[in-house]
Amino acid sequence: MKLLDLFRIQNTANSKIRLAAIVAAVVVLMTLPSWGGGYAVFIVTLMGIYITLGMMWNLLAGYSGLVSLGLQMYIGVGAFALAALSNYYGVPLVIGLLLGGVVSMVIAVGLSYLLLRMRGMYFAIATWMFAEAMVLLLVNFEYFGRGQGLFVLAARSLSETEKYYFSIVMLLVVLLVVVLLLRSRLGLGLFAIRDNDVASQTSGVPLFKSKLIVMMVTGFITGVCGGVYYIAFVWIQPYSAFSITTWTVAAVFIVVIGGIGTITGPIVGGVIYVFLSQYLSTLTWMGSLNMVILGVIAVAVIIVAPKGIVGTLQHRFGFEIISARRWMKGYVTDRLPDHI
Amino acid sequence: MDAALIQSIIQGLLMGGLYAAVGLGMSMIFGIVRITNLAHGDFLILACYISLIFMGVINNPIVTLVFVVPIMFFIGFSMQRSLLNRVIGRGDEPPLLITFGLSIIVQNLLLYFFTADAQRLHSNLLLESISLGERVRIPVLWLISCIVGVAIILVLGLYMKNTYMGRAIRATSDDTEAAQLVGVNIKSAYGIAMGIAMMTAAVSGVFIGMVFTFYPSTGPSYLIIAFAVVVIGGIGSIYGTLAAGLIFGLAQVVGGYIVGPQYQQLIGYVILLIMLVLRPQGLFQR
Repeated sequence: MKLLDLFRIQNTANSKIRLAAIVAAVVVLMTLPSWGGGYAVFIVTLMGIYITLGMMWNLLAGYSGLVSLGLQMYIGVGAFALAALSNYYGVPLVIGLLLGGVVSMVIAVGLSYLLLRMRGMYFAIATWMFAEAMVLLLVNFEYFGRGQGLFVLAARSLSETEKYYFSIVMLLVVLLVVVLLLRSRLGLGLFAIRDNDVASQTSGVPLFKSKLIVMMVTGFITGVCGGVYYIAFVWIQPYSAFSITTWTVAAVFIVVIGGIGTITGPIVGGVIYVFLSQYLSTLTWMGSLNMVILGVIAVAVIIVAPKGIVGTLQHRFGFEIISARRWMKGYVTDRLPDHI
Repeated sequence: MDAALIQSIIQGLLMGGLYAAVGLGMSMIFGIVRITNLAHGDFLILACYISLIFMGVINNPIVTLVFVVPIMFFIGFSMQRSLLNRVIGRGDEPPLLITFGLSIIVQNLLLYFFTADAQRLHSNLLLESISLGERVRIPVLWLISCIVGVAIILVLGLYMKNTYMGRAIRATSDDTEAAQLVGVNIKSAYGIAMGIAMMTAAVSGVFIGMVFTFYPSTGPSYLIIAFAVVVIGGIGSIYGTLAAGLIFGLAQVVGGYIVGPQYQQLIGYVILLIMLVLRPQGLFQR
């Protein structure tokens, strides 16, 4: 009965329509390669990866008050672990992905004991420093191909459709995990910590433990996400795998545009990011101006609509497609509290 | 003690004076406006490129400061007034993310207009040096950079102590509401503080550009130096900043001498991380 509560969809007049829409979306995503074109498959593969990345940054910054600038570390670690396991020991890709996630998670646990002592900007800069230090160490090893990096050799023979399923299955699983995590007792505690950490701690929310679990989850999933990205693109170049401008910039943009602290925000933001960055990259005359445009949009949104697209819509129209909150049986409302 | 080590110590100390100036603006903004300017390093590099433009007319980077410094003041002042002041009081995240966005914008604008080529602000002083004994030399440019770095810190210290605006800025930093009650326009004080921080970035940037090569993506490595200086020196302490710069410069260069120069950057990160873990409030916190 408790478990059922976790899955319950917001009990409003149109909850059946909402459920149908979610099921339809899953069916469309799972069958896309059989009827969609090659470009659509590629675009949605990218979306799966970037939305996952956005959801992880959102879980840290939007739900746990941990503004990280170092997610790229898990991307790099997950990807290099996958490549090493698969190239040198013939580990199958799926197992390699999960083990890459585990390696990232172990590192996340170790670093948490140092990082979680810091707050705000100290935390932000320290996460970034660790990522930078990691790549400077890694490029010294012949094992990881030094500055050249590694190829995920086994991924060369995969079809675009197989790469698509890696990405989309990851996305759907991660979405489910994030919703369940936020609706669990832990998630409730996280909301409390984000809103007022001292008050929540005095009410018995285990501060360190909750944040540690969030760090572990993001470490694992982001590590897998890195692996999936480099299965799709094959060549892991260390400086770009650990690059703040490739990964954290994308994650921040996606979450800020979509809506920080909402479940659907990173989905909307990720879709916009992939379309926008793909479109901008076709305008070759723009060169690096495409990054300028992304930056200007993000800064404008933070100032004008700090809740992002989804947050602003939720606030104005009072609906949520997927809610992070638990809904009790028989509780009917169309209004959301002002502060979600 | 062998000559190479003495040389390293001298160079570390000289570099430290410049590092202190690099961190000064960041420390000020951290302490007064209470935001982390993640674009600090990029604005420093922006100052290098502005100087590079004026180098087309005036063939001396130090003289270009006459133009670069006011321009950077204006950029800092208008950035604070038009963007950052709007999100003050909304918590730590929005200003942090705005400066992160600005960092990306500045880096990529520079990349667009100046390409990724390495640049240097050419100066005749670069090759001059003063000999001390047989194998120890003091590079003149490094010496001047260090003196200028220390001078900026002293001047700023006097400004903060003795002028109306300096006192207003310090009052705002100590107690925003009380400062407002006695008639300080805090938004304007924040604007001027950011302008001054950008002036220090301009001066240190131009000297960095004379001593080292730079390209559009070098900003973040100076942000890290600035942040290390802030963390070691303690927030908002001007003289702590000076000591921190010297310590960090010395540790990096001497560490590089012992372990190998290719690890100099990594050593910097490690020192910063150790400080963050063990003593984030800094060595010289008031």
